[in-house]
Amino acid sequence: MIAGIDLGTTNSLIGVYDSGFPTLLADREGNRLTPSVVFYGEKGEVLVGREATRMHALCPGRTVSSVKRLIGRRHGEEGTGGLMGARGTAVTITLGGGTLTPEEVSSEILKKLKAIAEERLGTTVNRAVITVPAYFNDAQRAATRKAGELAGFTVERILSEPTAAALAYGLERLSENSKVAVYDFGGGTFDLSILQLDNGVFQVLSTHGDTRLGGDDLDEAIAGLLASKAQLKETSLETGIRLREAARAAKEALSEEEAVVVRLPFLQEGKSIEIPLTRPEIETVCAPIIRRTGAHCHRALEDAGLSATQLDEVILVGGSTRMPLVQQLAAEIFGKQPNLTQHPDEAVALGAILQGAILEGNLRNVALLDVTPLSLGIETFGGLMNVIIPRNTTIPAKAGEMFTNAVAGQSGMKITVLQGERELAADNWVLGSFEIPFSPSPKGAARVGVQFSIDADGILQVLARDTTSGKEQVVEIKSAVEVSDKAVEAMLAGSLEHAFEDMDARIFTEARLKAEEMLPAVEAALTQLGSELPEAEITEIHKQTTEVTAALGTKETSRLKQALAALDQATQTLATRLMERAMG
Amino acid sequence: MSDPFLLLGIARRPLLDPEEVGSAYRRLAGELHPDQASGDVSKFRELGESAAILKDPARRLRELAGGSQASGGSSLPPEASDLFPKVAGILQQADSLLEKQSTATNVLAKALLVTPLRKLTNDLERVSSHLESWKSTLDQELQRVDQEWPEHGTPTPTALTALRRLADSFTFAGRWELQLRNRKLAIEATLG
Repeated sequence: MIAGIDLGTTNSLIGVYDSGFPTLLADREGNRLTPSVVFYGEKGEVLVGREATRMHALCPGRTVSSVKRLIGRRHGEEGTGGLMGARGTAVTITLGGGTLTPEEVSSEILKKLKAIAEERLGTTVNRAVITVPAYFNDAQRAATRKAGELAGFTVERILSEPTAAALAYGLERLSENSKVAVYDFGGGTFDLSILQLDNGVFQVLSTHGDTRLGGDDLDEAIAGLLASKAQLKETSLETGIRLREAARAAKEALSEEEAVVVRLPFLQEGKSIEIPLTRPEIETVCAPIIRRTGAHCHRALEDAGLSATQLDEVILVGGSTRMPLVQQLAAEIFGKQPNLTQHPDEAVALGAILQGAILEGNLRNVALLDVTPLSLGIETFGGLMNVIIPRNTTIPAKAGEMFTNAVAGQSGMKITVLQGERELAADNWVLGSFEIPFSPSPKGAARVGVQFSIDADGILQVLARDTTSGKEQVVEIKSAVEVSDKAVEAMLAGSLEHAFEDMDARIFTEARLKAEEMLPAVEAALTQLGSELPEAEITEIHKQTTEVTAALGTKETSRLKQALAALDQATQTLATRLMERAMG
Repeated sequence: MSDPFLLLGIARRPLLDPEEVGSAYRRLAGELHPDQASGDVSKFRELGESAAILKDPARRLRELAGGSQASGGSSLPPEASDLFPKVAGILQQADSLLEKQSTATNVLAKALLVTPLRKLTNDLERVSSHLESWKSTLDQELQRVDQEWPEHGTPTPTALTALRRLADSFTFAGRWELQLRNRKLAIEATLG
């Protein structure tokens, strides 16, 4: 039996195909949703789900939530700013004195789901289809697969979430021929996939998304609003967590109601707060975040060669699509009312179950043709990216390239594998590198064919074949998740030495660069708009620029940082006006 | 690699209906996908590659002209020589502005870049429409070649040369179109 699993940022689900129907399985309390939260106790006990959620505010230092945002990621990438670690190394989580990988934490969630399914069914469940955001790259998919294996599953397929949701939607419409968009806005990620449904064949035409755009970001924005309304300046870790939890609850309540009162007893220094919050207020802070989904929708449409009017349906899934503003903006982006027939939390899991049924041969005459979301290529001379498998290529796919020796007797050649859409190699994600071995031969006589294949999970495999000897070998790519401990230690040591050299000087330099960028920008902005500003505001801006200049002279790091923050604050209205005028 | 036209059951001609290719592809892919009992991963990949060749005019014409996918040292077609500097220039401008936008650390500096970026969007539109009009002459040329294409037997050497030249032009047009589009989308993404 193959289970279908939706391993979500906020919640996870498991289910199986049972006598012709996909069925989600509930825990003892009757809950089908398991919060993706893991608590690590002092005595080594691990709690997952609701029990872990209860510990979150009590022991924030021992609880991990939204681990999906870290899986398969490396330090130095966007969104890993708050974490300590050397650039380029895999992200780890430090917790109660120990270190955990995101795969390990995710595997605890999967173990819990496995236990729920086994208890319900009274049998072992050890094969699974696990869903991931469509826009997950190779490392993120491979890490998710590893998490499944750590939990004791044979991972039969890594499946894209919007594709799974399309399957759940299309199951009752197998004889149709239509084009649909799946707008999947979850707790941590956003995907937009466009599919053509044609007599049981589900062909993904294009997909685009952002693996750092989700309900978490909306909670963060609302938490910020709460903090400013409560006039909290500095917040502790515990306060931050309670604010975000309150923000999430308020966001959910405001999907139904027009106004709520947020009550946080003994929030900070024994102070209790009570803040009234209205739907328009949270919509004002959330709108810019939700609007970011628009660019991904346009890109996916462009890649599919379609205009919005050619779509038959726009299907909304993912918990964040419960928000009225999300539904409204989705309608604006596509120029039509979205289809809300799918259960926002359950459609993806149902699709995963159906894919399991296809693999077992229980669901016939249905085929999913999924794509790779990102182009795959290699670095060429001059640091450019040479695309070998373009994005939106149907998977499994493969493509080859032939390499030869540039000098006689050359024993090998290093190839760097890239994933991404930028022309410069350095702007793309480096999947890793490998050596092609050449047999000793005169210049240009060695011939090694390298074959890149993307399997049905969207994961890359590389095969090298020496065409003169006919020898074939699977090439191992040293990727972020596989970097040996020694290499990590060496990188860490290097960065530590560097860090101790002169931390303060570095921070000052960063602040100085910011000041040097800021001062001319302020001047230019004042020249353009100064006459329209109230006198008091101009005086304030001048006061703060003088302070920045003074701080630059004295080389006091903390003074400069404070002055910059004050100048940022003082020029906020100016920036807004400038933006408004430019946008006409 | 076998004949992509044959594999998809599409008539071997310069001009074809993309809808027909798509629907033939889906029907066969549904049978050959490795998840199916009748599946075959290597045939499935070959089918995908064949459909990709047929959908891309440059690759399709090269296939018709003799099967080799290597672009025969494609040089800039003379009709495109006035377009090339326009495209290259605007791409450079776009990259430098986008670079400034992405390295700007404060809101004010970003706000100052909004006006130049919006002007650039208009310029990109203008170059794109030049490109579009060149592409429509290529499409007309393609139609002409298709009308003269023999129902049976082999085409003349002159027809084949014309086909290769047209394939080169489509390659450039396609590449530039993609580059211009990527910049437009990148600007759209930064302006929100």
